[in-house]
Amino acid sequence: MSEPALLELENISKYYGNIIALTGVTTSVNAGEVTCVLGDNGAGKSTFIKIIAGAHQQSEGTLKVEGEEVMFDSPRDALARGIATVYQDLAVVPLMSVWRNFFLGAEPTRGWGPFKRVDQETASKIAKEEMAKMGIDIRDTEQPVGTLSGGERQSVAIARAAYFGAKVLILDEPTSALGVKQSGVVLRYIIEARNRGLGVIFITHNPNHAFPVGDRFLILNRGRSMGNFAKDEITRDELIMMMAGGAELEELTRELEAASAGDESLAHVAEEFAEELEQLGGAEHDGD
Amino acid sequence: MTAAPAAAETAAAKPDERLAYRGPIQRLLIRPEIGALIGAAVIWIFFWAVTDVFGTTAGVNNYLDVSATLGIMSVAVALLMIGGEFDLSSGAMTGATGMLVVLLVKETGEFGGAGFPAIVAIPLTLAFALAIGWANGTMVEKTALPSFIVTLGTFFILRGAKLGFAKLFTDKVIVEGLDDAPDHGFWENIFGAVWVRNDHVWDSFLGGRDVVYGVLLTAGALLLVYGILELTFQRRSQLASGSMPVAAGGIIVALAGLIALTATDGSGANWIWGSVMTVGAAAGLYGIAAWRYERLPRPEGALDLGGSTGRNVVVGLGAVVLGVVVGLTLDSESQTELGFLLTTQGLRAIAFAGLVIFGAILLLLAARNAGKTSPRSQMILTALTSIVVVALAFIVQSEADSRKFRAEFFAVLLATAFVVFLVGVLRTMFVERRAADETADKRGRMLAMGGVTLAFVAVAIRLLWSTTAENDVLPGRVTWRVSVLYFLLFAAVASYVLLRTRFGSWTFAVGGNKNAARQVGVPAARTKTALFMVVAGAGWLVGMLIAFRLNSVQANVGDGQEFFYIIAAVVGGNLLTGGYGSVIGAAIGAVIMAMSFQGIPFAGWNSDWRFLFVGAILLLAVLVNNYVRSKAEAAS
Repeated sequence: MSEPALLELENISKYYGNIIALTGVTTSVNAGEVTCVLGDNGAGKSTFIKIIAGAHQQSEGTLKVEGEEVMFDSPRDALARGIATVYQDLAVVPLMSVWRNFFLGAEPTRGWGPFKRVDQETASKIAKEEMAKMGIDIRDTEQPVGTLSGGERQSVAIARAAYFGAKVLILDEPTSALGVKQSGVVLRYIIEARNRGLGVIFITHNPNHAFPVGDRFLILNRGRSMGNFAKDEITRDELIMMMAGGAELEELTRELEAASAGDESLAHVAEEFAEELEQLGGAEHDGD
Repeated sequence: MTAAPAAAETAAAKPDERLAYRGPIQRLLIRPEIGALIGAAVIWIFFWAVTDVFGTTAGVNNYLDVSATLGIMSVAVALLMIGGEFDLSSGAMTGATGMLVVLLVKETGEFGGAGFPAIVAIPLTLAFALAIGWANGTMVEKTALPSFIVTLGTFFILRGAKLGFAKLFTDKVIVEGLDDAPDHGFWENIFGAVWVRNDHVWDSFLGGRDVVYGVLLTAGALLLVYGILELTFQRRSQLASGSMPVAAGGIIVALAGLIALTATDGSGANWIWGSVMTVGAAAGLYGIAAWRYERLPRPEGALDLGGSTGRNVVVGLGAVVLGVVVGLTLDSESQTELGFLLTTQGLRAIAFAGLVIFGAILLLLAARNAGKTSPRSQMILTALTSIVVVALAFIVQSEADSRKFRAEFFAVLLATAFVVFLVGVLRTMFVERRAADETADKRGRMLAMGGVTLAFVAVAIRLLWSTTAENDVLPGRVTWRVSVLYFLLFAAVASYVLLRTRFGSWTFAVGGNKNAARQVGVPAARTKTALFMVVAGAGWLVGMLIAFRLNSVQANVGDGQEFFYIIAAVVGGNLLTGGYGSVIGAAIGAVIMAMSFQGIPFAGWNSDWRFLFVGAILLLAVLVNNYVRSKAEAAS
């Protein structure tokens, strides 16, 4: 591929005083591809987003947007470069209508001077069309976003980011608060966004959600990159294993076994856990 | 496990079956201001019935005047509340700006008065108000403290400053001498102008005031009804233009009947022209419906009174009869007081009205229920209901003592019977729309809004102009203050800004979810600070109105009023937590408060009761708002 990647990160590190939040992270996002960032709680995912979204600056390493090295000062900077972030719970204003949410902060206007007013018809029409492109038919764009389901609310934010010229879309844990079916809906929107040529960064702690949609996987654990793989370089099981950190899992099994002495039901849990670990461990060795 | 690519293929757009069609009435009912509007109507009817003055021009003038200063502030406070903040200094601000402008123009020199002309003093006062508003907003934004605390501080500062400076400069708790300003006359025309109704006589122009009033009101009502028809019924694929002459002829006959009705005198002529007008209106509306809307097949089948329908009919008729019996047997002359609100006369009215309304509602429910199985039954039961209402109208006319019941209320009851009958007939004859239709919706909305506007203009004409006959009869003079005009203008502008401009959108957004708003590029801090400045600016306007009213200002003016502003906003459907509401609702809320404050003394009751009244209204409003919010925000 001769064209430079939409977004390239090389050896990005972030220190807060003496705390090392993130160290040596390298990955890339291409147009029309989904890069998944996986990690358990405290793995450094939030720090990672904040650097790309412009809320924090990296302490070390380089960030390239379309081949050009940049350092963002503010979220507005990142937005101007076409990097839009959809936060899970901050995405929309529930009591406002769909079209007002869609155009919030960038309302189309008509008229001049004191008669400058929001062009409701255009806004409503575009919002309806853009939502239709995501596969959602909003019959009444006047309905409050709060009446939509969790997945549809995320999709309003995703469609909005795409419409306003985002090239890279960062989705922060879009599925974490959703049920199985709603998660499926959001995954579908991720695919839709990818098919429209956006680069998507999908942040999650659920490898089952990441694997089917991802083209590239960055695994973080305790602030360290555990690797950056293309889809054909890794299997689902390896992904799960690396994400949780194999050594830790083994330790957890031992602890469970120790604690279960005399308790039958707990012993059963420990047994199953060990079994699963064995399978995963085997898969990892096969992968090497 | 979710197979995403497969899911993506099934994502073909299809209509959302979970969205049921919502008719115009349901859509109207979820507006935030609708509760306040119904409340205002109920309270108005209540005080109209129990007092003599309330429905007269003098009475309307009285409570609109009180509602003006309250309303300007509650509109501004509602904007701020939608933006998610409070301003407890808003009440003290009205008094502070009023006092400041007096102190600035007062001509005692030295320390006590600066002796500025008003053209300097008034903008200086505005700058002072805006600066306080800016300080309130900036402090709330920079410290992230609750605005409740910050503005409580500002409130006490303003309150203390008012009293302190008044005492320091004048040794009194009042500052006087606004008329010392050399240009006082000019500014008095702006902030203190009055319109003396008795001096504005409209006797013969365009046939006289009452003819213009009646024609505008009727035209407005027709437009409104036409708009509702357009919103309710399914259009024919091909218009039946043969019915158009019926429509036009009916409407012309109705208007002619109305003009004749107002121009002639005597009960016989009233009956003739009233009937002509009714027949004309019925023919006109039927003509419009037949011309534009799809017909239902002719209703058939026998009268069906199965299930709850029959029971409702029996109980409903029983309640009406019982109401009439109670009304006729209780002694109408007795004024014996049984307790608060309960004279024998009052009991009689309450029992009569309660039972009769209950009965009529049961009858209408029965009609609607019957309509599900047999349209014919619906038609018959609706006709029965309107006959009952007509009968009641005559009972009221023969029994009531005062003219307002014998003439006005009688006419209203007859009109109600007419509307009930017409609605019932039209619903059994034409197909109701069950799908969205943008052009029909738009036309219907514009017609209905035009109708309401015409009715408003009609009422305004009636309130602002007098006739020679009225001037001869009425003892007092009715003086309209310009503050009412400011109130209406401010409410209209604020509503436009809130609903149609970007700033309005941002106001909803910062109140609904500030972080989300900031995330998508809304200047949240600036929006909130601007809202605080709007409240302070409104406080300045009210301060000027107060100061130019008496040319003097008491040190305690406005203290404690901030709670009434907030109550009016809440009664008007604004959420205390922000993000949802209406400034028109807040304006109506202010009128409700003013009506309760003024109506209680009008009724001759001890005004100590008025806070009980206000408290009950507030609680009721909050309960209704809570319910509406849960409906509007019903998440996943």
